[in-house]
Amino acid sequence: MCARAWLMPRSEMILSESARAASATEAHFRINDANSRPLAIKVIALDRPSENVVKQLAQLQWTCASFLTAVASAPPAGERFSMQGWLSDLAGHTKNLIDEIDTADLVVMVASGTENVQVASLIGEACSLKRVMTTALVLGTASISDAALSQTLAHLRPWALMLVIASAEEYITDMLAALRA
Amino acid sequence: MLKKEQSDLLTRTGPGTPAGRLFRSYWLPALLASELSENDCPPVRVKLLSERMVAFRDSQGRLGLIDEFCAHRGVSLWFGRNEQDGLRCPYHGWKYDHTGQCIEVPSEPVESGFCNKIKLKSYPLVERGGVLWTYMGPPEKQPPLPEWEFALVPPEQSFMSKRLQECNWLQALEGGIDSSHVSFLHRGELNTDPLFRGAKANQYNLGDSRPVFEVVESPGGLYIGARRDAENGNYYWRITQWVMPCFTMIPPRGNHPVHGHFWVPIDDENCWSWSFDYHPTRPLSQDELRAMREGKGIHVKYIPGTFRPYANKDNDYLINREAQKAGRTYSGVEGIAMQDASLQESMGPIVDRTKENLVSTDNGIIMARHRLLRAIKALMDKEMQPPGIDLAHQHVRSAAVVLPPDQPFIVAAKEALCVRAGVAHASI
Repeated sequence: MCARAWLMPRSEMILSESARAASATEAHFRINDANSRPLAIKVIALDRPSENVVKQLAQLQWTCASFLTAVASAPPAGERFSMQGWLSDLAGHTKNLIDEIDTADLVVMVASGTENVQVASLIGEACSLKRVMTTALVLGTASISDAALSQTLAHLRPWALMLVIASAEEYITDMLAALRA
Repeated sequence: MLKKEQSDLLTRTGPGTPAGRLFRSYWLPALLASELSENDCPPVRVKLLSERMVAFRDSQGRLGLIDEFCAHRGVSLWFGRNEQDGLRCPYHGWKYDHTGQCIEVPSEPVESGFCNKIKLKSYPLVERGGVLWTYMGPPEKQPPLPEWEFALVPPEQSFMSKRLQECNWLQALEGGIDSSHVSFLHRGELNTDPLFRGAKANQYNLGDSRPVFEVVESPGGLYIGARRDAENGNYYWRITQWVMPCFTMIPPRGNHPVHGHFWVPIDDENCWSWSFDYHPTRPLSQDELRAMREGKGIHVKYIPGTFRPYANKDNDYLINREAQKAGRTYSGVEGIAMQDASLQESMGPIVDRTKENLVSTDNGIIMARHRLLRAIKALMDKEMQPPGIDLAHQHVRSAAVVLPPDQPFIVAAKEALCVRAGVAHASI
């Protein structure tokens, strides 16, 4: 539909700046240089099902995403634990939470249920301290009861500036690709 | 960002394209009923999903939506004479009924039955809720008629407008589900627009320009919740509905009517922005109707005799830099609809999504693309019916509610997010 042609007398058919700039022709003249630098995105699995998802995800090619787990070193309920030693990479090497957060632009926490979800507060607090953006992703909600989902969300909400509840595990792949991870 | 092939897949909706096939699974708004206001009225050109058609209402009130061009020499039937149960081409008198069947070829003997062999492509056209809806898919897969609440309430409770938007449909849709822009682009309107002002909720909005978002899959699409702090440790939630492929519903304010949109492809570089306002339990007031007709709220003022907004790219959207500087409008463009449209059109006819840098608050957009791509693949590979066709997916409402902090809105606001006959929408 060429609205101009049927709406304006010929004498007035001089393109405005906006009309000219928004044309398909002008799109060819957009600067083609990169307009961003890679962001450091840390994806942290909070529980075992999520760890499996994150492990599969780590097999794909990413530019600036790294994958961690908070599962292996999680302390039994009620026990104290060290800030230094409970986060690890997928090969099992211990990682320092603060160091990891310090080098992140975005932290994505992945949860699949209520197991171990309380560690979100530690990660979230560290992110808050370092002013790092947080996103929480809850996967596989079809198999979680409303009560369990409430509990999971209650743990995540205070620490996630964006919270996504997704039915399909592949969403996380799409999300990371969309964020240029 | 999105790969070019993914962007192409989502933005191309012409015949034979995967997204075109997705759109051809649904009833889509085609015209306002008022565009064919009486029997034998002038025909109207219609372009949808990159197909050119002509719509008419015959002498018996039957609605036709047929190929725009006469099968004889390709003349546009927009010039046709709408007379005696058919549309007659003024060139040589060939005449078509509302199904596109040729019923007269004056140059041929009637006995030859020549005209029976001529039939233009046609689509069903049905009136519901002041809108003429069409279904452009295979007849054997025609779904039940749409049951959006705005189309089922008594006519005095709803108002519908449409406007031309000069960019691809997906750009417009993505604006509709991008809740995070409201605190910036539209902040000037909350306390001044007659269809928004006065609601208590505006205080929450203006008091907190950094809401926290939750995106949750719904049976038909998405719930996009924006959370702000309310009194006593509770949260104020604004929950937007997106139902596939192109329906969005904005959370209400106070006792104002609730509103939303359809974003329907005309071709790959233009779309119709349909804008509805309705109240589930009361007639719209004269003041409300006047405001809507004057282009307030999500509606626009038009160039007379067209559906093209009065402020458009040919006049630089009447941008007012003084109003921008003084803060009366955030972008300098007046009116919510044109604030959105001006920026979306400025991205170009089809924005280059390979160059965008999305952030985590864009998860509503990311999830919508993800669901659309998934639905297209399921339709193409397995013939699976896409979400949004099931009538239960259409029985939805947006909502604005205050909830305790530990409750998921999908549980605590479950009833508020569904149509409840005789009950007003949940609003603050």
